[in-house]
Amino acid sequence: MNKTFKTSLAALVFSTSSVLAMAAAQAKEITIWCWDPNFNVAIMKAAGEIYSKTHPDIKINVVDFAKADVEAKLQTTLASGVTTSLPDIVLIEDYGAQKYIQSFPGAFASMNDVVDYSKFAPYKVKLATVDGKTYSMPFDSGVTGLYYRKDYLEQAGFKPEDMQNLTWDKYIEIGKKVSEKTGKKMMGLDPNDAGLIRIMMQSAGGWYFNDKGELNITGNEALKAALKTEGKLLSSGITKPASGWSNWVSTFTSGDVATVITGVWITGTIKATKDQENKWGVAPIPKLDVKGATDASNLGGSSWYVIASSPEKAEAIDFLNSVYAKNVDFYQKILVDQGAVGSLMEARKGAAYETADKFFGGEKIWQKFADWLSKVPSVNYGVFTNEVDSAVAAQLPALGKGGDVDAALKAIEAQAKSSMQ
Amino acid sequence: MASANRSLNRYFNINGWFFVAPAALLIGVFMVYPILYSLWMSFQTGKGMMTQFGGLANIKRLFDDPMFVLALYNTMIFFIVQVPVMLTLALFLASLLDNPNLKFRGLIRTAIFLPCVSSLVGYAVLFKSMFVQDGLINSTLVGLHITDQPIPWMTDPFWARVLIIIAITWRWTGYNMIFFLAALQNIDKSIYEASRIDGVPSWGRFFYLTVPMLKPVILFTTVTSTIGTLQLFDEVRNIMTSDAGSAAGPSNSALTLSVYIYNLTFKFVPSFGYAATVSYVIVLAVALLAIIQFYALREKD
Repeated sequence: MNKTFKTSLAALVFSTSSVLAMAAAQAKEITIWCWDPNFNVAIMKAAGEIYSKTHPDIKINVVDFAKADVEAKLQTTLASGVTTSLPDIVLIEDYGAQKYIQSFPGAFASMNDVVDYSKFAPYKVKLATVDGKTYSMPFDSGVTGLYYRKDYLEQAGFKPEDMQNLTWDKYIEIGKKVSEKTGKKMMGLDPNDAGLIRIMMQSAGGWYFNDKGELNITGNEALKAALKTEGKLLSSGITKPASGWSNWVSTFTSGDVATVITGVWITGTIKATKDQENKWGVAPIPKLDVKGATDASNLGGSSWYVIASSPEKAEAIDFLNSVYAKNVDFYQKILVDQGAVGSLMEARKGAAYETADKFFGGEKIWQKFADWLSKVPSVNYGVFTNEVDSAVAAQLPALGKGGDVDAALKAIEAQAKSSMQ
Repeated sequence: MASANRSLNRYFNINGWFFVAPAALLIGVFMVYPILYSLWMSFQTGKGMMTQFGGLANIKRLFDDPMFVLALYNTMIFFIVQVPVMLTLALFLASLLDNPNLKFRGLIRTAIFLPCVSSLVGYAVLFKSMFVQDGLINSTLVGLHITDQPIPWMTDPFWARVLIIIAITWRWTGYNMIFFLAALQNIDKSIYEASRIDGVPSWGRFFYLTVPMLKPVILFTTVTSTIGTLQLFDEVRNIMTSDAGSAAGPSNSALTLSVYIYNLTFKFVPSFGYAATVSYVIVLAVALLAIIQFYALREKD
């Protein structure tokens, strides 16, 4: 070992220890993982600014990367058992909530001692609750609506009044008229994606699982009606086939379709097409033809989770609680800036929810979404939603060609059972 | 005696061990250990971290898992259809380009080889945008009146498989062609001259001279292409699935074993043990197919 090597080794040891010392001396930092720079990242940064005003010693560090990457990284890190590389707070989509809570017990902190959960939309609380303990700070809602192009519908002879209280059969009927008169399709639909099935099923209070979390497929009236309706939609010729998310978005941003049925978070995307100003209206989604059917449902939406092993756990929970569970003004700000409908019920009494939206011809659309939010049926998303979803999606193309619904239900059940192990 | 001593000496030479130690250590930690550990994992069952030893439970699960059977079936379809098509095309192109009288040889050769230096994800995303319902390919086909209706590349199970095969053939044909081309240039030209003098037609020269002479290279490209096709992942993941979509192609028609392993680990409730079992199926399939190919293309005395 020569002298230069020894010196450089000493330098290395010295520099490492000084880095460690610096980290220890620094102010507390809360690290957060989330995925949409125009949506939850921007919102979390705004929340951080609010909190920093009263807590100058705490630094909020929002890390932005793709949703699939957040999920893969979270899942592998939790499985490895080494939690040091995890953030303090992570955003998880609601469908995956039970999967994470139950597969990695003890990984997330329950917040019942601090947060008053009665103030939130009940379905958002229930989906993150296991054995009476709730592990999430409910965030945005995916309450659904039917967005429609007033100009196309007018050409086909329909007024905004005609779009209220629809059934799916009526919707298809209107769709046929619209295609006939305007040459436009009624909606863009991706036959590889079960999103619309989930919307319809939850609107009638059903899910792939019953309240106890057991698989509920062949006897599930809501799912059966949803599959039947999707088959009708696909075979009626009123849909424009889309493949993948961006292609689906382009079906309405390009003006090729007359309606969009999805979660409220799409509002920002619709409003981004400035040349379509004043052409859009919002109505409740069509109803299924089964008992307990409503015109309110949910698609997507996500919540914040605190990692239990985080050294800044208490600060992280206090941060979430003081902004997301108490600050009504914050919810007005993110509604105006990002179009985010939060799930704190008292937030909808705020001023922003009362405002008329110029883009939608002065309609008070936010008030509508807030009303529908309180009506969304509460269901148990269970642990295996992704598995069953993939089984359902595999049956959709056959249904569009007139396949038998009962046979599809049986195939879904068989596939779901084998993957739920 | 002295030579035996010398060869034994090699094993006790401490300097030699010092030289290989870093590499051996890295290979041990990052290759041998993970391979053995994944074998151990393939006997574990349970969700996420809640695992326990399950014996042969995962192997039993393989047999009543319709998704696994479908993934295996799709992978085999891709393998059986795509590998022969691609290698025939590569061989055909190579023998065309071997012609010294062909103009712009270098340019054409580069153009055919170029796809395989492109990024897998990059080209898959481009293919996706070209083949969507109203994309470039469909509007061209309809515009030229080759078809009346746009082809449902991404919404029909049959066409979805065709699209994946077109994509991987485009990406890898040039790569295999280069091997054939290099081997062709090593064949002694005097053999062709002699056969021409004997009056062998050009197709006869191709089938009875070129193909047998290229046998080792054909074996090599078949084995590497087999491995590549059995591990098919990027194209399906990027062309057929998206964040919103939950099936790998219409009716899961493009679900391959590698995509299924990904789903089992990252998309579904993590089932690391079962995912490891499925990955060992790929290992076995590759080994088995390689043995068959070696046997079929062996040098006969």
